[in-house]
This record gives sequence, structure tokens and C-alpha cells, in this order.
Amino acid sequence: MAHQQQGTSNISYREVNDDVIKSMTETGRGFYLVLAVCIVGLALTFGLPWAYQIYVGQGVTGLQSPEYWGLYLTNFVFWIGISHSGTLLSAILFITQTPWRRSIYRSAEAMTFFSVVTAATMVFIHMGRPWNFYWPFPYPNQREMWTNFQSPLMFDVFAIGTYSTSSFLFLYFGSIPDLAAVRDRVTGWRKRFYGALALGWRGTDREWHLLQKAYTFCAVFIIPLAVSVHSIVSWDFASSKIPGLNKTIFAPYFVIGAIYSGTAGIITLMVILRRALKFEKYITKVHFDKLGMLLVVMSLLWTYVNVTEVFTGWYANTSYENEALKYRMFTTPSAYLFWLMIACNAFFPLLYIFRKIRLSIVASLLISIGINLGMWIERFLIIETSLPRKFLPFMWRDYHPSWVEWSITAGSFIFFTSLFVLFVKFWPSFSIYEIKEDIGIPMERKGR
Amino acid sequence: MAGFIELMLERFKVYREPGYYKRFDYWWAMVIDLDRCTGCGACVTACQAENNTPVVGEEECGKGRNLSWIRIERYIEGEYPNVKVKFIPVLCPQCDRAPCEVACPVYATYHNQDGLNVQVYNRCVGTFTCATYCPYDVRRFNWFTYNKKNFLKGNGGSSTSFEPPLDQQLNPDVSVREMGVMEKCTFCIQRIRAAKDRAKDENRPIRDGEIQPACVQTCPTKALTFGDLNNPKSRIAQLAGLSTAGDLHYLRESGSKISDISSNPRTYRLLEDLNAAPTIFYLKRVMKNGSSTAGHE
Amino acid sequence: MLNRRDFLKLVGVGGAGAAAGFALGELTKTPPAKLIPYLIPPEDVIPGIANWYASACMQCSAGCGILVRVMEGRAKKIEGNPLHPINKGGLCARGQAGLQLLYNPDRIKNPLKRNGKRGKGEFEEITWEEGLSILTNNLMELRSHGEADRLYLLTSLIRGHLNFLLADFMKAYGSPNYLQYDLFQYENLRFANKIIVGQYTIPHYDIANTNFLLSFGADFVTTWISPVNYNYGYGQMRQGEGRNVRGKLVQIEPRLSLTGANADEWVPVRPGTEGVLALGIAYIILEGGYYRGGDAKLWKDALKKYNPEAVASTTEVSEDRIKQLGKEFATTKPSLAIGGETVSSYENGVSNLVAINLLNHLSGNIGKTGGVIPNPDVIKKSFNPIATIAKDASRRKIKTLILHNANPVFTTPETLKLKDALKDIPFIASLSSLHDETTALADLILPSHTYFEDWGDDFAEPTVGYSVATIMQPAVSPLFNTKGAGDVFISLAKTLGGNLQKDITWEDFGVFLRDSWKKIYERHKGDIKEANFEDFWNDLLARGGWWDAVPKASKPVRVAASEVSAHLSSEPAKFEGNDKEYPFYLILYPHLSYKDGRGANLPWLQELPDPMTSVVWGTWIEMNSKAATGMGIKEGDMLLVESPFGKITAPVYFYPGQRPDTISIPLGQGHTSYGRYADGRGANPIELLPAKTDPKTGAIPLNSTRIKITRVNAPKSFVKMEGVAKELGRNIVQTITPEEFKKMGKEA
Ligand SMILES: Nc1nc2c(c(=O)[nH]1)N[C@H]1C(S)=C(S)[C@@H](COP(=O)(O)OP(=O)(O)OC[C@H]3O[C@@H](n4cnc5c(=O)[nH]c(N)nc54)[C@H](O)[C@@H]3O)O[C@H]1N2
Ligand SMILES: Nc1nc2c(c(=O)[nH]1)N[C@H]1C(S)=C(S)[C@@H](COP(=O)(O)OP(=O)(O)OC[C@H]3O[C@@H](n4cnc5c(=O)[nH]c(N)nc54)[C@H](O)[C@@H]3O)O[C@H]1N2
Ligand code: SF4
Ligand code: SF4
Ligand code: SF4
Ligand code: SF4
Ligand code: SF4
Repeated sequence: MAHQQQGTSNISYREVNDDVIKSMTETGRGFYLVLAVCIVGLALTFGLPWAYQIYVGQGVTGLQSPEYWGLYLTNFVFWIGISHSGTLLSAILFITQTPWRRSIYRSAEAMTFFSVVTAATMVFIHMGRPWNFYWPFPYPNQREMWTNFQSPLMFDVFAIGTYSTSSFLFLYFGSIPDLAAVRDRVTGWRKRFYGALALGWRGTDREWHLLQKAYTFCAVFIIPLAVSVHSIVSWDFASSKIPGLNKTIFAPYFVIGAIYSGTAGIITLMVILRRALKFEKYITKVHFDKLGMLLVVMSLLWTYVNVTEVFTGWYANTSYENEALKYRMFTTPSAYLFWLMIACNAFFPLLYIFRKIRLSIVASLLISIGINLGMWIERFLIIETSLPRKFLPFMWRDYHPSWVEWSITAGSFIFFTSLFVLFVKFWPSFSIYEIKEDIGIPMERKGR
Repeated sequence: MAGFIELMLERFKVYREPGYYKRFDYWWAMVIDLDRCTGCGACVTACQAENNTPVVGEEECGKGRNLSWIRIERYIEGEYPNVKVKFIPVLCPQCDRAPCEVACPVYATYHNQDGLNVQVYNRCVGTFTCATYCPYDVRRFNWFTYNKKNFLKGNGGSSTSFEPPLDQQLNPDVSVREMGVMEKCTFCIQRIRAAKDRAKDENRPIRDGEIQPACVQTCPTKALTFGDLNNPKSRIAQLAGLSTAGDLHYLRESGSKISDISSNPRTYRLLEDLNAAPTIFYLKRVMKNGSSTAGHE
Repeated sequence: MLNRRDFLKLVGVGGAGAAAGFALGELTKTPPAKLIPYLIPPEDVIPGIANWYASACMQCSAGCGILVRVMEGRAKKIEGNPLHPINKGGLCARGQAGLQLLYNPDRIKNPLKRNGKRGKGEFEEITWEEGLSILTNNLMELRSHGEADRLYLLTSLIRGHLNFLLADFMKAYGSPNYLQYDLFQYENLRFANKIIVGQYTIPHYDIANTNFLLSFGADFVTTWISPVNYNYGYGQMRQGEGRNVRGKLVQIEPRLSLTGANADEWVPVRPGTEGVLALGIAYIILEGGYYRGGDAKLWKDALKKYNPEAVASTTEVSEDRIKQLGKEFATTKPSLAIGGETVSSYENGVSNLVAINLLNHLSGNIGKTGGVIPNPDVIKKSFNPIATIAKDASRRKIKTLILHNANPVFTTPETLKLKDALKDIPFIASLSSLHDETTALADLILPSHTYFEDWGDDFAEPTVGYSVATIMQPAVSPLFNTKGAGDVFISLAKTLGGNLQKDITWEDFGVFLRDSWKKIYERHKGDIKEANFEDFWNDLLARGGWWDAVPKASKPVRVAASEVSAHLSSEPAKFEGNDKEYPFYLILYPHLSYKDGRGANLPWLQELPDPMTSVVWGTWIEMNSKAATGMGIKEGDMLLVESPFGKITAPVYFYPGQRPDTISIPLGQGHTSYGRYADGRGANPIELLPAKTDPKTGAIPLNSTRIKITRVNAPKSFVKMEGVAKELGRNIVQTITPEEFKKMGKEA
């Protein structure tokens, strides 16, 4: 394998262990500061507004007839989208045995899990009666009342439930040897904590063998799952009759968008992590180079599905589709958002064609943030330029999100960040054993 | 276990039928004669009085959050002096293939044995999906606890939607809905249930015209007619030009256009091309150059 | 027609039902019953089972019959009485909203005595004994000073036995000053009918059976005279059962009203020239030889000025259109011409209405099915010009004023200075159930029952060609410490003594009503099928009234050309304010649901979108967007509207159904003392009018003023419910052409 390319071969095993474990055990002031900011920010932007909304009612949002779906669902789709690259990418790269995966996949998988969790909170925030959140689950009850399996929202419940469970397992399985490694190096409560998490891992051949099997199974399982999850999320929209939402292309459209935004999310995260944890030696330019190439491909695919979507709408030439398209691109009060989205997602990422750009950390950061901005706008526009232009023009009405919605939207980012901050402290955020694999000491490889 | 799976499969099959039921006990429907309707709005207030729908105040109205279950849409075409004005009362047409029913994850909205799209308030968790899917924009949401919210605040006054003693008017046959749930026109199901009960006591079917929803009852021009579509002799079947039982069966089974079946060229269904199979039959207004022109403004 | 449901309702009513209403009232009044309600449950009140009481709608003067659904002593719903000949089961939005009057949070719950400065709205609660004795003392003092004629009684329109009682009271007391006031009193119309139909009443316009309805600004589907009856007629005219011909409606008015919106043709005539247009049409009828009377020559001479050419230039309606209208009106049988509030509200209202009525005469529509059907003469009190009150008050002629449900301070122009004049009256007592702008000036408030808590009756005018009396019975026991107005006057009579005691002997108004109906029973025995009065009374309460559905044959009316032409005006209406400075005609029209403003305190009505603009909870100004171009006005902008007499500010709504030279504003908002739902909302455009009333009829000409507008910087805009009012080819309100309709074997 081309270890040289990874630029990691001159690092010693101990150094890897030290680096990763140090990030977990040695807590500087910076960490507490970040944590404090997260907690306070979370309370102010997320907790209090949500409590206010629960107390006063969904009326504190800008939702109205007919825009019954607003920022919360935008955020929901956005975070589900973000979740798509982590695990999916990790699984694909694992199966294709792509070596540069190893130093990034752990945090990417965590990103998946946390963004699914963030997305799930959005569902509950969106609900009119969140205290009945468990009703959509098919629990046995005396009314013999099962949930409606026809409802795309029901598909969501299962899809997201399965996805979050399996992505957590994927993350967990892959971490077991590292959790054991941590257990062996720490003392006190930590020893007990990681001891429990490591499930008694000893590193025997049999254990490695089983792990490998389970891990491979997860990876194979997760790829179609991830594709289905975002397809299903797209059906929340596509199975309606609403112009602008009723689109057969929505499943691939959403999956592509999700991988696109997820990949960009990983890049953003890598830039931040390597700076914050001083992991420049593990996350190298090689990673940015490869992911940049992926982004160019995704960008072209994204552009293709968008052109297709607009074209089919236009080609159908019904008053419904025409008005919705016109509204989305030109007449909505936020029409500039559409063009900003096109710039962020169709044009700027093409700069990645140049290797120089791919290797530039600053450019990568800007472009990846731009992509996610664009992708957030995409979800916003899908919902907010379709519902205000439904079938009966007498009911047309523009949507103006309220401060509560904006605040909770901002809060969802803090929520995600908080989870991540805790993660890097309590979990080996880089795969110790796989980085070691990378470094190149021959480990006993069982044939798969 | 096998029995259970069989049961589930059977149920799933039933649920996949449009409207779940092969044949309704009664098939409640409405005919709205647009040539009679003047847009006077009496039906709107009658519905509000019958169904305990709260008044929400100016500010909330401005956000499109008024709770009326029936509204009069008014379209104006043309410029002075060639102005054409048209009215249409829009309420939930109890779609036979209701998009909202597919949408609801918790079966808070479903089709009942009378062909009605029923809303179970206490089952609803407030996902808004039904309202988003509803092509007719007839679903209304309880954004607040209306008997607590002061809707005159901006005006310097103070009043909740059911400010005592206004609350003494509330119809005891209809629940006052809680914050966070969806609601919509029920075809005045409380009146239907009362009539069914009475008919059952007297061991007879419900007579044509025995049930009048509040809007139908009050309409000064008698533009609205309510009745049972299962009965080809009913007034609504006659008015809609669906006078043989075969017609009606065919209508449900085939999902065809009403104009292919009805013997009345005035009969149409609102947004029929969306295939939600609404059970309100509008009778076209007689008007010179009444058709609308495409293009915005 | 009586279906089971209706039957059930009526069974639930009966005489015993009404008695139960009262019994219930008595029950809840005694303290032990209050503590342990239903310990001895009233026989007729079964929890969960509704009783239906037949009664009368008092939300406007149309006289519709209602059924009130009562459960456990509380009114829950009003429905139209299907047996009632005027509304035939239907109700308008205002009728539906009546319950919010009964349960209005701003109702006056106890007698009140003023304890601050007049008009400041400061009152203290007193007992009925105290309240009645204040009023009694005042009246005694007045009488003892020989100033009995300086007592004025001002009520809204009252037509039933309460009217007789009040008249008797005032007569016995010694005052001729019993006055009724309503902004929309249709006095001009009665006056005009006297001239052509020969009766000083409003006839029955048989819209249901006409084939061609020519309406000059009669907005009969919203508020005009008897909207539910006319709406019913409209529905029948269009698609009535057994009708093979679809009646046609042509609406002539400068502002497209809701009725106009339903018309087949709209003729946007120049404001004030409707009468001229009617005469132009009359000219065509005569020229075409459609009039067969022997006096055709005389008429021709009288109308020769109104040739199409001249009329076209005055009215801005093309010659062809005039000719076509004339021909169609004369040749379609039966046809019917009606003149509404717009026409009546110019300064030359009466002559406009005479001209319009003339069309019915010339086409032979009077006394014909589908035409103008004379009504039995109702015993009615004629209205008094509100200006007299203002004048008398300011001349300090009025010493004591008793108000009952009249709110002239809100519905008369500021320029009449009524409010100031009222301040000169030493003592004002009001019997209002709710606060209003006039009651705000009172010294004493003795709150009366609403129409759900009181006995009463109503003789509708117009009826439908035969007499209709509607009975009003207490459907619920009084909610608050209020008394019926009739009871108040009866108890005043008792304490005042003298003639009053001799003439007014009943123990309460309910007994008086029953006695009065006994007299009716005895007079009309032949027409009444019930064998004795008890049965008749019970049926009366169950049915909701008494009508003997046989139209009396009407006497033919002689209409002399010479006499009539004296009432015709050859000139268009004159307007206050010159057209240079005040470029727009102003049209004020009653709002669909507040009418003259009385409905503005009912939240259901405030939240009912106006059908033409979809605006809720406010006032707006209707203007054609063409007129706004060049003025930098956008929809929703606040405009300052100025006439030579006053100004108001309100947001503008761009309304294509509006002549560019005309601006319309609905009445009804702009209250200052009418409860929480009405106060501080919108503007009262009546403030723009001059101190002018019709010399013949006392009517206030709403539409004879010109205005100017300027844009003002103010944030407030209106709330409208419509998004986009264009169908965009979506075929939402589908139509078929009259030709296609004809192919269905019908005529359009
Ligand atoms: N024979 C017999 N005895 C029983 C039972 C039985 O089944 N049979 N059931 C037992 C049971 S479970 C119970 S709970 C008790 C119930 O016994 P109670 O509490 O006595 O119930 P009810 O007799 O139904 O109603 C009491 C009174 O309340 C009046 N009422 C109705 N609505 C209102 C209202 O809004 N306000 C006021 N103030 N009064 C109102 C009713 O008219 C009635 O007069 O009876 C017990 N006793
Ligand atoms: N119209 C009306 N409805 C009412 C009321 C009212 O006053 N009027 N009252 C309300 C009130 S307060 C109450 S408590 C409820 C009562 O309502 P329910 O609980 O329905 O009362 P019942 O009809 O008395 O009893 C129910 C059944 O239990 C059966 N049963 C009797 N003993 C036993 C036993 O030992 N085991 C089992 N398994 N079954 C048994 C009886 O045969 C009967 O079929 O009704 C409420 N509903
Ligand atoms: S009450 Fe009748 S006429 Fe009036 S708007 Fe409703 S349907 Fe139309
Ligand atoms: S809002 Fe209520 S009824 Fe509608 S889909 Fe959600 S849970 Fe079902
Ligand atoms: S109109 Fe809307 S709410 Fe009514 S059944 Fe159809 S989809 Fe459901
Ligand atoms: S049928 Fe009943 S619930 Fe539906 S709009 Fe009419 S009055 Fe309201
Ligand atoms: S027209 Fe309306 S307000 Fe007037 S009496 Fe009839 S129902 Fe009442």
C-alpha cells in the first residue's frame, strides 16, 4: 500500500497512543471554555426558546397555512443530509479498502450519529404536541391501534431509527480495540468506564476476527441503508401532490445532496479538528486532495439533478409547476437565495478541479462551508417555495420564520457541536489501531 | 403468530383500498351550486358557531391562521370595467383518496364507514403533514391554547377566544380542541351521529334531508345540499346527475372524471386532476366568459 | 316541507317549553336554587338534550324567524326557522352571530349611575330599585313642572307590541316625542312607493320569480332591507326547482357590490345619474311601444328629454347599452326593477327611486308574480328625522331623554353636532344592553334583556305579500341583572300613577303580550284554525309566529304622469365639494356584517372576511388601481381622506370593481365606546358627511359628498385573507356559458 502517500509512516505507535489518549485525558482551559460556551449557548438559543414554544404553542413560530412546514423541517433534512457522508463514506471506503480513510473515519462516523440525533430533535421540536412523541412508534396498546404504515413519516421513523442504531453500532464496533487501548492506559473512574465500554476486549485473534466480520457486515448493511434513509426522507415531500415537491427525481436528488453536503461537512470538520487537536500529522493534505476530488464529482452530479428537476417542472408546463418554479427562482422574497445556492453548489466547488485549491486548507474550508450553506438553502427552498404556492391561489401566502425558529436553527448547530466536543473528550476520536495499520507494522491479517 | 400475521396482512390490504371501505354504510356528500351561492359568508359564521372554532384576532388572521373550516374564495379576473368576480365555498370535500390520510403517521385522520375523512383530535401529535398534503388547504391548526391567549393585546384590549361568558355558547356536542392538534370540517359529524342514533332507535335508515350540517342549514340561497350518495334517489345524487347506483359504483372503482359519468354538465369536482376524489360536487356557475386565463397578473 | 328534524325541534318548543324557560329563570334566581341547581330539575330540561325555542332575529330590521337551541338553560346555536315565510330556514351571518350579543363580555350586568363627568364612561353599580326610582323621580318632577312634553324617547326600530306599549306610555305621560331612529330606515323608498305603488310601505320584491332583475345599486345579498329573503329569492331565480328559465340580473352601480359581483352584467354608471339612466330606459320602453297604457303620450312628453343620446352623455353609459337594457327589460316577462341604498343615498334619492319604480309601472310589473307585490299596510310608526333631535336638544327643548337600543351618536355625521347637543340635555337614561357611543353620555343605565331573554314580537316590513308576525320568547333565563324594556316601562307606569296607571295595567310585559295576542286572536278568528286561544298561543310559540299565507288581492293603483313627473329630477345628483379640489365621488356602504356598525362588537363578525376584499377586523378604502397610478400609492398604504366636512385615515385596497373617479368605504368601524372588540378599530367614514338630511324624509344622504386623498406615512395596514385572487387557468370556479346552459334544455 502506498503508505508514503499518507505521510504517516514516520510516526511511532506510542506516539499515536499518546496523542489520542492525551486528547481525552488532558483537559486544558480551552476545553472548559468551549464546553461552557456550548452549554450557555445551548440553553439560550435552543433550550429556552423550545421551552417557550412548548409552553405557549407552535404559534410562536412563523408557520401558518399553508406553510405548515418551516425551518425545523429544513434543519431536519439538512442534518439528515450531513449524516450521510460520515458513515456512508466510511463504509464505502472500508469496503473498497481505501487507505486514507483510516485517520478520518472515526470522527466522520461520530458526525453521522450526532447529526442524526440533531435531526431527530428537530422532529420533536416540529411537533405540535411533542409530549406525545412516542405515539408514532408501534408499541402495543389496548386499542390495537398501530401506526399508519402508509405514511412516509412512518417510513421515517423506521428508517431513522434503523440508521441511527446501525450507525451507532458501526461507530462502536470500530472503536472497541481503541476503547480497550484507552482502558489500559488510564486510571480511576476512567478505567471502569472504558473497561465497561471495551466489553473485555483482549485483542485475541478470535476477537479481531469477529470484529472484522461484524464491522464488515455493518459496512455492507449501511450502504443501502443510508441510500434508503435519504430516499425516504425525500418521500416525505415527493409523496405529496404539492407542486415543487411531487418529484420522482427526489430520492436520488436527496441522496446525492446528502452525500455532497456530508462530504463537505467532513472537510469542514477535519479542518477544525486538525487545528484544535493538533492532528496535522494524521489528517494530511492527502485527505483534502482525495475528498476534494470527491466533491467535484458530487458537485457535477448535484448540478445535473437540479437541472433535471427544473427541466421536468418546466417541461410539464402546468400552471402549478410553472408558478412554483417562478416563485422559487424569481418572485419569492428570498429569490436571491436560489442564486446563492447555485453559486455555492454548482460553481465554487468546481475550483476543486485545481490541485492547488484542493491542497489549500483555507480554500477547502471556505468551499466546504459554502457547500453546506448552499445545501441548507436548498432544503429551505424546497419547502418554503413550494408550500406557499399550492393549488388554490387564494390561499397563497409567504413564509417569514420567527426569531424562535432562527434561534433554534442556530441552536441545532450548537447542539451538534456540543455533542462533538463531548465526543472528542470521551471517545478516541481517531482510530488508534487503524492509524497504526497505516503506519505499516505488519499485523496479522486474517483473510476476509 | 401466524394468525396475527394473517390479520395484519388482511388489514394492510384493506387499508390499501381507496377509502378502506368497499362500500360505505352511508356516503355523505355535498353539492354546492355556484350559480346560487352569492358569497354572503353566512355559512362561515354558522360553522364557527356550531363547531366551537375559536376567533383568533387580527394579528393571527394576518398570518393565515384563522380557524374557519369553511371559507369563501373569491377570484377577480379582468380590469375595470370588464371585471368578473367568482365565489366558491371551500371546505374539506372528504376526499375518497385523501392525501391527508396517507400522510398521518398515527392514524389521527382516517376514512370512516360513512365515507368521511375523520379527524381524531386526541390522537393527533401535530406533525402538520396532513395539512401540507391537503391540496385544498382546508386543514386548520391549533397554534395556541385559544381560551388562554389574549388576542386583543395589540389593540390594547383583553379577550381570549372564548372569553367568559362567550364560552357558554360552546356546543357541548363538539370538543374544544387542544393546542397542537389539527382540525378541519367534519361535515358536522355530531349531527350525523345524532341522526344515525335516532334512526337506529327507530329501526329505519336516515331519510334524505334529515341531516343538515350547520353551513347547509343556514345558507340563505340554498346553494348547499347535503345527503347520501349511496342513495341514487337522494337530492344530491339527483343534483349532481348521479342518478343510478351503477354510476356511483363506477365512480369509486374507476377513479374516472365526474364529467364522464354525471348526466349534469354543470357538475364538476374541484382540482379533480389531482385524483384525490373529493366528495363535494360543485355545479358550475352560468356566466359569460367565465373561464380563467393562465398567467399571473 | 316539514321534515322530521324540524318537527322534532318544534315538538321541543311548545308552550310548556317556553314556560320552562321562564320557570328555569325563576329557579336560578332564588338563592337555594343557585346553591343546589337542578335539585328539583325542571321538567323540560334534560341534560344533554336540546330544546329549540322559536323566536325572532333582532340583528336587523328584516324580521327573520329563528330557532334557538338551548341546552341546560344555555343558548348554543341559532338556526333559521324553516317555517318562517321571510327567511325560510336561512340566516345571514349577523343572524348567526346573535349569540355573541347574548354572551358578550361587555354586556352591562347591573343598573349603572354616572359618577364622573358626562361622557367619561365612569359609572357605579346600583340596584334596580335605586335606578328605577331615579328615573321615576325625574319623570315625576318633569310632569309636575308641566314639562311632560319635554321627555323624549328615542328607540331603534321597534315594530311589535313593545312599540304600542311605548306609544301608549308616552301618550299617557303627555309627550308626543316618541322617536325611532335607524341610519337605514328606507324612508326614501317608502316615500317613492307611495307615489308609484300607492302605499307608504316597502312592497315585496318577488326576486324568486322574476326573469329579469334590474337592480340600481340594491345590494340585496348583503344588507339591503331583507337580505335573507332576497338571497333566497336570488337562489330561486337562478336555479330554482321547476324553473326552466334562469333569471338574469343586471346591476347598475358605480361600485361593484357583492350583488353586483353576482350579476350577469355590471353597468358602472356615473354616481348620481342612476335616476337619469332609469328615465332613459323608460324612454326606450315608451319609444319601443312596449307600454300599452292609454296615457303613453303623456309619459312620452314627460320623458322626452331622456333620449339615449342625452342620457348617455350624462350617465356615461353607452347609447347601445341603454337601448338594449330598455328592450330587454320591457320584453322579458316578468321583469323587476329595484333601487337600493346607493341610489337612495344621493341628495336626490327620492326622485331616483321614483324613476326606478316608474320602470315597473311602465312594464306592468306591479302586482304581478315576479314583479312588485304590494304588501299589507303595516301599522308603523314613521321615522323622525334625527336632525330634529339635534335641533331640539341644542335648543334645550329636551329635558329628559330615554334611549333604547339607538346609537345615533355613532351613525350620524359629526357635523350634525348631535353629541354636543345631547350634552345639553339635563338627564339621559339608556336602556341599552351594551355600552355604545350614545349610552356613554347617559346619566343612568337600566340595562335591558337581549332578544334571547325577553318576550316580544315583530311585524316585519316588508313581508312577502301577506302579514307576518314573529313571536319572540325568552329562550334562556337572563344572564345578568337586567330587565326587559317593556317591563321597565310598565313598572314606571305603575309608580308614576295617573293616566299611566289607568292605561297600563298589565303586571308585566309577558302578560301584556299575551293579552294583545288574545285580541288578535279574537279579531282574526276566521283565519285562524285553532279552536281556542290557548291552542293558538301554544302553536304561536311552537311555530314562531303567525302568518296567513294568503296574499290579499291588491287594489290597482292609478299612476298619473303629471303627478309623478313632479317627483322626477332631470338633473344628476349634486355633490358637496367642488370637483377640482375634491376629485373623487365618495360612496359609503353598509358593511356585510356590521351594517351601520352595530355588528362590530361581535368577534365572529369581525373575523368574517369581507366577501369582496377579504379584509377582517378593520376599515379599508376601495379604490381603482388606475386612479392610484401617478399618486405613488401602493395597496395597503394609509390614506388621508378629506371632504369639506371631515377627514379619516384608513388603508387602501385596490379594487378593480370601482370606477376610477369613485372611492368607496364601508361603514361600521371606528367605534370609541362599543366594547373591546369594536373600539379603536378602523375609522367611521360617516365623519366625512355634511349636516344634511333629506327634507322630505329625514334620510342622511351617504353618497353626496366628494373627497380628496393623500398618502400618509403610517405603518398600519389592513389584514386581508386572500393570497392571489387570480385563478391562473386552474379552473377553480368553473363556469358554463348561457348558451351551453340552454343546451341543457333550460333558458338562461
Ligand atoms: N341507582 C344507581 N345509583 C348510583 C349509580 C347507578 O348506576 N345507579 N351510580 C353511582 C355512581 S358511579 C355515581 S358517579 C353517582 C352519581 O350520582 P350524582 O352525582 O347524583 O349524579 P346524577 O344524579 O347523574 O347528577 C346530579 C345532578 O346534577 C345535575 N346537573 C347536570 N349538569 C349540571 C351542572 O352543570 N351543574 C350542576 N350544578 N348540576 C348539574 C343533574 O341534573 C342532576 O340533578 O351515582 C351513584 N349511584
Ligand atoms: N348517560 C349517562 N352516561 C354516563 C353517566 C350518566 O349519568 N349518564 N354516568 C357516568 C358515570 S358517573 C359512570 S361511573 C359511568 C359508568 O359506566 P359503566 O362503567 O359502563 O357502568 P355500568 O353500565 O354500570 O357497568 C358496566 C358493565 O359492567 C358489568 N359488570 C357488573 N359487575 C361486574 C363485574 O364484577 N365484573 C365485570 N367484568 N363486569 C361487571 C355490568 O353488567 C355492565 O355491563 O357512566 C358514565 N356515563
Ligand atoms: S351561505 Fe350559501 S350563499 Fe352564502 S356564501 Fe355560504 S354557500 Fe354561498
Ligand atoms: S398533524 Fe395530526 S392529523 Fe395531521 S398528520 Fe400530524 S398527527 Fe396526523
Ligand atoms: S380535503 Fe384535505 S383534509 Fe379533506 S380529505 Fe381531502 S386531503 Fe384530507
Ligand atoms: S359541514 Fe359542518 S363542519 Fe363542515 S363546513 Fe359545514 S358547518 Fe362546518
Ligand atoms: S337578515 Fe340577518 S340579521 Fe336581519 S333579521 Fe334576518 S337573519 Fe337577522
